[in-house]
Amino acid sequence: MSANDSFFALASAPGEAALALLRVNGPLVPTIMREALGFELPLPVRRANYKHYTDTFGKLVDDLVVIYYPVGASFTGDHLLEITPHGNPLIVQRLMEDLQRRGLRQAEPGEFTRTAFLNGRLDLSQAEAIGDLIHARSERALEATRRQMQGAMGEHMSTLSGQLLQVIASIEAYIDFPEEDLPTEDTGGPLAELKLLIDGVHRLLATRHYYSVLHDGLKTLIVGAPNVGKSSLINALTGHRRAIVSEVPGTTRDAVSDRIMVGGHWVDILDTAGLRESEDAIECMGMAMTLELAAEADHFLLALDASLPPPPLPEAIVGRMTSANTIVVVNKCDLPDARSCDEFLPEFPHVRISALMGSGMDELRQQWQVQLEKRFALGLYDGISVNARHAAALERARDALALARNKLLAGESGELAAADLRTALDAFGEVVGKFDVEDMLDTLFQNFCIGK
Amino acid sequence: MALRADPNNPYDVIVCGAGHAGCEAALAAARRGAAVLLLSGNIDTIAQMSCNPAIGGQAKGHMVREIDALGGAMAVNADTTGIQFRLLNASKGPAVQAPRVQCDKKAYQFRMKHTIELQPNLDLFQAMVEGLIVKGDRVVGVETQLGVSFYGRTVVVTTGTFLRALMHVGSNKNEGGRMGDFSARGLSASFQRCGIALERLKTGTPARILGSSIDFGALEEQPGDPRPTLFAFYDSRGGLNSEELFHVEQSGQQRQLGWTPGEDPVSCWITYTNENTEAIIQENLHRSAMYSGEIKGVGPRYCPSIEDKIVRFKDKARHMLFLEPEGRNTDEWYINGLSTSLPFDVQLMMLRTIAGLEQVHMMRPAYAVEYDFAPPTQLLPSLESKRIEGLFFAGQINGTSGYEEAGAQGLIAGCNAVAKLRGEEPLVLGRHEAYIGVLIDDLVTKGTSEPYRMFTSRAEYRLLLNHGSAEMRLTGHARKHGLVDDLRLTHMESQVQSVLNWVERLEQERLGERTFAEWLRREDRETVEMPPAFLSESVTVRDEVYYRIRYRGYLEREQKQVERLASIENILVPADFVYQGVPGLRNECAAKLSSLRPRTLGQAARVSGVNPADISVLMVAIEGRRRRAKAGRGLDSPDQTGGSE
Repeated sequence: MSANDSFFALASAPGEAALALLRVNGPLVPTIMREALGFELPLPVRRANYKHYTDTFGKLVDDLVVIYYPVGASFTGDHLLEITPHGNPLIVQRLMEDLQRRGLRQAEPGEFTRTAFLNGRLDLSQAEAIGDLIHARSERALEATRRQMQGAMGEHMSTLSGQLLQVIASIEAYIDFPEEDLPTEDTGGPLAELKLLIDGVHRLLATRHYYSVLHDGLKTLIVGAPNVGKSSLINALTGHRRAIVSEVPGTTRDAVSDRIMVGGHWVDILDTAGLRESEDAIECMGMAMTLELAAEADHFLLALDASLPPPPLPEAIVGRMTSANTIVVVNKCDLPDARSCDEFLPEFPHVRISALMGSGMDELRQQWQVQLEKRFALGLYDGISVNARHAAALERARDALALARNKLLAGESGELAAADLRTALDAFGEVVGKFDVEDMLDTLFQNFCIGK
Repeated sequence: MALRADPNNPYDVIVCGAGHAGCEAALAAARRGAAVLLLSGNIDTIAQMSCNPAIGGQAKGHMVREIDALGGAMAVNADTTGIQFRLLNASKGPAVQAPRVQCDKKAYQFRMKHTIELQPNLDLFQAMVEGLIVKGDRVVGVETQLGVSFYGRTVVVTTGTFLRALMHVGSNKNEGGRMGDFSARGLSASFQRCGIALERLKTGTPARILGSSIDFGALEEQPGDPRPTLFAFYDSRGGLNSEELFHVEQSGQQRQLGWTPGEDPVSCWITYTNENTEAIIQENLHRSAMYSGEIKGVGPRYCPSIEDKIVRFKDKARHMLFLEPEGRNTDEWYINGLSTSLPFDVQLMMLRTIAGLEQVHMMRPAYAVEYDFAPPTQLLPSLESKRIEGLFFAGQINGTSGYEEAGAQGLIAGCNAVAKLRGEEPLVLGRHEAYIGVLIDDLVTKGTSEPYRMFTSRAEYRLLLNHGSAEMRLTGHARKHGLVDDLRLTHMESQVQSVLNWVERLEQERLGERTFAEWLRREDRETVEMPPAFLSESVTVRDEVYYRIRYRGYLEREQKQVERLASIENILVPADFVYQGVPGLRNECAAKLSSLRPRTLGQAARVSGVNPADISVLMVAIEGRRRRAKAGRGLDSPDQTGGSE
């Protein structure tokens, strides 16, 4: 809410796309440009720059295009940076997490427009529209949170909040009521509680990836030799002609994606360039990209042509495949010379289809659903998943709780740990709604007999 | 000055009630040079400690020091009439240490009365106020029970628990705000006629007993500290031999020091309830005014009656009680921890089950009191009524509890009544500047559903509010509002400067391989050999320098949080701002803010149920209004735009 901190937001629609757009606003922009993007002073203004984004761990996140608008010459009137990474949700998520580590926060609903207005960059006639925009966006965000909080996530958060209030109350009691006849102060209790709390927050944070799977789709790569009918397979799955289908091998050069439902899961289907040795430079790039995508894919459909002997596949891809994340799809089973391919990767499930005739598709979907459900029955935390905004708050809470715990362990005076615990409570409040000091006092007076 | 009841020659400020709030209000206004009338229903009970004979403690002690920094009287009065001094939380960090003092109850009252008698510009008169005189939406004076009206340009109401006050001892009920005193009946109706809403609260006080009937041999002694921690900042007041340290024991025209603070201290004594006490209470629970449903007002969570404690904490085998002496020249003792509204006979039986009190003589019974208060959300942050101009409220009438909370509000209300007359900005302290700021912001923003008491945990910037820095934190405000004299101000400012200089120097100057500051953060401060010039600074300065160096990381973090929020804290909401119909503002939020009328966006953000998006929407609406107003002015008065149109 403050006018002098820096924030960012994803300006493009979430999900898979060719490109995404992230906007970053505020005084930290020049620092980000120098430290993450390798700019040197003076910063180039209003020009598209091709740069590598390096995160705080020194790892390359993406190569991307950035444009910088200085104070007074941007939409918001502040330092403004537009980052255009590849539209892969994982890349976008990594960028956003890195920006948070660098001290930025996610923008509040409508904050870019509001900042622009407050800085005199928008005219008065727009004031009403901005109010409505902020309202609409925040209602949407609130509704999403409300829905989440009705479920198991809400229960867990309220348990954690209750525990935290107890810990704070048991420390505050000894600060504010030193003359009361309280049990001898013992940090053992709060320390044990804090350990449980930190573990609880950890478990919630671990569901972050599942969230992106649920919301951004499970990435499924369709791989196979050229012309085994990968594009036809997608068309059969999605029921419309999305990928270009042709007799000429190597037609599909970009990863084309579509989104379908398999059971209860969103699945993003990525069609890939056929895997074979080629001299064509563009096709080589396409294959390199397939390898890259394979590294981040959640699931594989390995397409074979039933009329041909199974081809050799690059180890980089086969190495990522397991019987739990791959289905061998034997296509063109309607052709007269179709053979059984059971001996090829026999430990993997096989499904025989004809994408052109539409046969075997039901079985494929069924197999697929069984596999997905098996996978996500594990690693799931009671169906809970946290989104990026909640995750940022929970990380702050976790760090503050750890600091408080260290102070108590080191035997430092309670009011110092209490300052960290308050930070943690505020962070919880960002997820479940603001806490008042009265909530803590209620807990305190319920647990301790205070009163002279 | 001479007493006057003349509509053509009004007082600047009339203060109604001479308790802890009223005294500070009248003194602050008079020190600022206003002509002040202080009215009290009984001037023998000025600044009476109606409950326990002690000042200070956690958060409260902090506020007393803040009162002193702003020129108030409570600190010096407590120091000079104190009979036992203790620094609480001495084993914890400086931010949460607090001084507390047992006072001689009568000496405290007499000395405060004399302070008022000595104050120029201040008239004291005994009369009970029955009603306000209001013209339009402005207060112009008060009517008294004597049938005489007094006229004032502003009025400060500090009537404590006296409005329609009803005392309970079991099923026995008597009208009165304090045992032996009256109840103010007319004033409540007068407020309601002005459109000021009133609600009920409840508080209570334990029995008093005769010291000679206590068997002290059976009790645990609690002595004071060997060296007193005082409330007032004597370094800037000219030392401990200052004129201000007079006492009320006089010899002819000569005022004398009654006793030097800390000299000849007395002890408190500790005893406990037991299973017999509990049995008596359990058997007679139905006869407690609180349990029989006689009392409708809400009592405080932090000060439950003994029957409440026994019912709610069944597992606790015994409850601790403190016996506190009420003074040097009386043998009356206060039993801290034994509030009750049980009837007389049960009280007596209960007392005699307690170790040391088997033969006790009860001098006054415990009682509960119900009274009217005016929910403080009806006030501006200056403590002026939103409805009636020139009318200020301070103390228990605002729903607070405690002498210190009352005194703090009184001082601010008195100061702001004068600011009002002079058309100056009121004194509004930030939550990061003082507990007094937290107190008043909580009251006017959130209101209260129980008698409000200050706790350090109410302050989000607790580490910035250590008691030792009270004077340095508030020097700027003291100067701006003329609350302390020039000589003291000069001392205060030079101390602030010394602290800043030393903190900077010690961060830079080295002692061996480290800077002094680094040593101080690593080692016990007693073991670090400090520069001789530093050691010649006052204790206040040295302690503050140590504190700021040692806790630097924490203090900087809180300071940063303050700065982060400052941008919304400083956005003023125009007084006539219309919330209804602001595009994007939720209806329930508009309704809530319309009734509370926050003064700043920061205040609005602290209202429960107001979310960040609402604040965001308001920011835009307020800026839109400002620009529209500017555009309007530009057209109407071309001279403001340089006449070029």
